Amino acid sequence: MILRKYPVCLTIILFVFSLQANAQAEYQDSLPVSKGAELSLYAGDNETNCLVCHGKLIYTLTDTVMGMTRKQLMSGQNLVIPGMFYNSVHWSFSCLDCHSAEFKTFPHSIEARFEPSWGCIDCHGYDPNYEQYRFEEIDAEYQKSVHYTATDGLITCWKCHDPHYYNPLARQTQGGREYIIRSNEMCLRCHSNADVMGLITDENVEIVLPKHEWLPDVERHLEAVRCIDCHTRMNDSVLVAHEVMPADSAVRGCADCHSQNSILMGTLYKYAAKERRDEKGFVNGVMLRNDSYVIGANRSKLISFTGLLIIGMTLVIALMHTIFRIVVKPKEQVHE
Amino acid sequence: MSKNFYHYPAWVRLWHLANAVLCLFLIVTGFSMLYSDPDNGLVVKFQRAVSIHNVCGVLLTISYTLFLFGNLFTSNGKNYLIVMKGLGKRLWKQGRYYAYGFFKGEDAPFPVTSERKFNPLQQVSYVGVMYLALPGLFITGWALMFPEFILKKFLGFSGIFLTDQLHVILGFLVVIFLFIHLYVSTMGRTPMSNFRSIITGWQESH
Repeated sequence: MILRKYPVCLTIILFVFSLQANAQAEYQDSLPVSKGAELSLYAGDNETNCLVCHGKLIYTLTDTVMGMTRKQLMSGQNLVIPGMFYNSVHWSFSCLDCHSAEFKTFPHSIEARFEPSWGCIDCHGYDPNYEQYRFEEIDAEYQKSVHYTATDGLITCWKCHDPHYYNPLARQTQGGREYIIRSNEMCLRCHSNADVMGLITDENVEIVLPKHEWLPDVERHLEAVRCIDCHTRMNDSVLVAHEVMPADSAVRGCADCHSQNSILMGTLYKYAAKERRDEKGFVNGVMLRNDSYVIGANRSKLISFTGLLIIGMTLVIALMHTIFRIVVKPKEQVHE
Repeated sequence: MSKNFYHYPAWVRLWHLANAVLCLFLIVTGFSMLYSDPDNGLVVKFQRAVSIHNVCGVLLTISYTLFLFGNLFTSNGKNYLIVMKGLGKRLWKQGRYYAYGFFKGEDAPFPVTSERKFNPLQQVSYVGVMYLALPGLFITGWALMFPEFILKKFLGFSGIFLTDQLHVILGFLVVIFLFIHLYVSTMGRTPMSNFRSIITGWQESH
């Protein structure tokens, strides 16, 4: 009845059910094929089943009933860039290891979409192989963070750490400046744009730069430390703290970083600090590794020692001279 | 026999006072930043130290500029002109006097006169501090206030790092100078006479 009344509906339904995606490599991303793609046992399957569409920015839809084809843009959320995937830590997996086998059929069924997606803890938790990373504690921290509590858990691990591209940043970037920039990019993807934040909350959210104007030389500060160094609760037992605190709980005291007991040694430089406590004869010398010089937290031991030694020697000489003056009582000096 | 004469004009005394007060603030706040520790009651709070240091640094630059103009356009400047010929000998003479002759009751080799304000050691150290250390501190200090102008990399090191190290070294030199300056000032006719003359302007000669 409805179908007779609305022939357009029939056409649409037929069209949707007859969609068939075909691989067309013409707009293939220019990323080089990584070693991972050559090594992965599942690269072929992944390519045939999934990446044929999801691995292309522009893919071709074929309507097998009407014999029509159409080029479509893959939406960002559903796009997986193969080169980057095969360079990630999860390169050796089949897509269907994590995604439901129901996704193998196209169009994808609604049941497939309702299947819960895995979180980091589902694979990495309680596994002795990953014990050192303490995923359980990271998960517990995440569940206390505002990302979890303010969104009922909708901001999942994946919002910051895309499992398709995940690489331990610190290892990949040697912990240098690039590490800080890329770590902050994760936060800035949402927090630098009021319109994006408006999608998440109705509250009037201030974006990053205006909110940090109280910091002297704000841009330099934001380049030299990670957002999470001030915005997460410090935790010694995990390498990167994950309990993102409400904005008003963030670190605001200058001396929290600018002092010999700088919190940066327990946050940004924790890994380096564990590796080498001391470097280049500087207090908190590991900070100098990424061209940072933190006044109050860095101090050259050599300059300090030499400076204080000369000051001390000057005072000793002056004291000895004074004693001589008292003992010898030079004639010219008249004592009042 | 002492002879009193007007030695320090008012502008020199005022400049010297401003210089002394500002340097003291800069040294205390500079050390507070270098040895920043929120739990140590001896150091000024970091944030306060930064603000005071910046304000005093700017004021000292202004007072230094006035001093430069004063030296250019008054006779005070000639006290800072070092005659290189025989300098080593004169320095040795003055050094020997401080270490030995002074105790033996010898006459000062270069007594203060209305024509000669500084003995050779004073002259060399004052020129070093006023014309080398302080300008160096101003350049590095202002650069640290506007770090966007500092070279990102210089000889493989971070520009800010090198600038700050130079600032700290020069700062230490000024502190060392200050202690020597204060002590040597007690070696006038009486231990207090030089302090009195930089306040009143009148110098009692040996």
